[in-house]
Amino acid sequence: MGTHWRAMLDRGSRRFGTGLSFVAFGVGGTLLSVTLFPFLRFISPNRAVAQRRIGAAMRRVMGLFIWFMRSLGLLTYELRGRERLARTGLLVVANHPTLIDVAFMLWLTPDVGCVVKKALWSNPALRWPVIWAGYIPNTEGVQLVQDCRRVLESGRSLLVFPEGTRTVPGQPLTLKRGAAQVALASGADVLPVTIVCDPPFLTKSSHWYQVPPRRPHFTITVGQPISRERYASVVQSHPLAVRDLTAQLVTHFTHNIEAVLKETRERGDESARDSVRAPIM
Amino acid sequence: MYSEQEIYGQVTRVLAELFELPPEKIVPTANLYTDLDIDSLDAIDLMLELKQITGRKVQPEQFRHVRTVADVVAAVLDLRQDETAA
Repeated sequence: MGTHWRAMLDRGSRRFGTGLSFVAFGVGGTLLSVTLFPFLRFISPNRAVAQRRIGAAMRRVMGLFIWFMRSLGLLTYELRGRERLARTGLLVVANHPTLIDVAFMLWLTPDVGCVVKKALWSNPALRWPVIWAGYIPNTEGVQLVQDCRRVLESGRSLLVFPEGTRTVPGQPLTLKRGAAQVALASGADVLPVTIVCDPPFLTKSSHWYQVPPRRPHFTITVGQPISRERYASVVQSHPLAVRDLTAQLVTHFTHNIEAVLKETRERGDESARDSVRAPIM
Repeated sequence: MYSEQEIYGQVTRVLAELFELPPEKIVPTANLYTDLDIDSLDAIDLMLELKQITGRKVQPEQFRHVRTVADVVAAVLDLRQDETAA
């Protein structure tokens, strides 16, 4: 069979696998929301215990989902600096290239709160699990900053995607300033996590069935924490400190995305050359 | 008692300092949110800073309808008139 046919078959099977994973995720998620999560809530003596248990269960579910996708050959991944996520009370700030970033991050981050679409509060199946898990609706302004600060002050970490939505492919990365507002309001260490998916997969401008010609590879790089001393040093005014931290994060993400892409592409070129040099079977 | 012109000058100065905006962008018709990239949380910092001019706390309700630089000046003027009336 020619390489062309093999590539077509590979792509077709990945398309099927992607659909299957999403159906499994939807069905599994809904089932857990009416079985395991309420069960964990009602056997727990109080809200805090329930939150920890449901958070831990959510983590396993997300880990299972990523494992499932990897086992089906839909993606590969590598994690760098993962141990830096183990601390709690961190403001974890990630860029958002794909639909499944949140699954990766909820799996990798222990004891974490997360800002999720407020539409979930009117979803009959998911409403209570997100409340029990202590997640925050994406309201705006003062309300949102206060909710986020409360999560960090309770000692948990908080996950935010400051782009607000998935990255628009081909456009420069832009961040909303809310994450920086939360940092300055709470004084928490900011931990930037750069997610790169190459070739692009499940982006904002593609449908789930548009799988890339090659199997996508995720590189998730956990950076060094940015401490309060470093981001609150701009003292001229509070708005300027917020803008400065936001700009720091834009530079961090843009620089790291470029570095990772350059590296994986060079590696890709090498393996392509190797396969040309390899004897024909 | 400041004139409208003086208040306009002070509002312009506060905006320039607080947000490092180039002075030429701060014109009466400039929209805070769309032209000057100020968001609802920045508006709170702005209100705190305006307190220095008015000597009185600017209430969020008074700021709700503020959209342009001219609206900010009008809000500050209103406050000062309330003060003299009182």
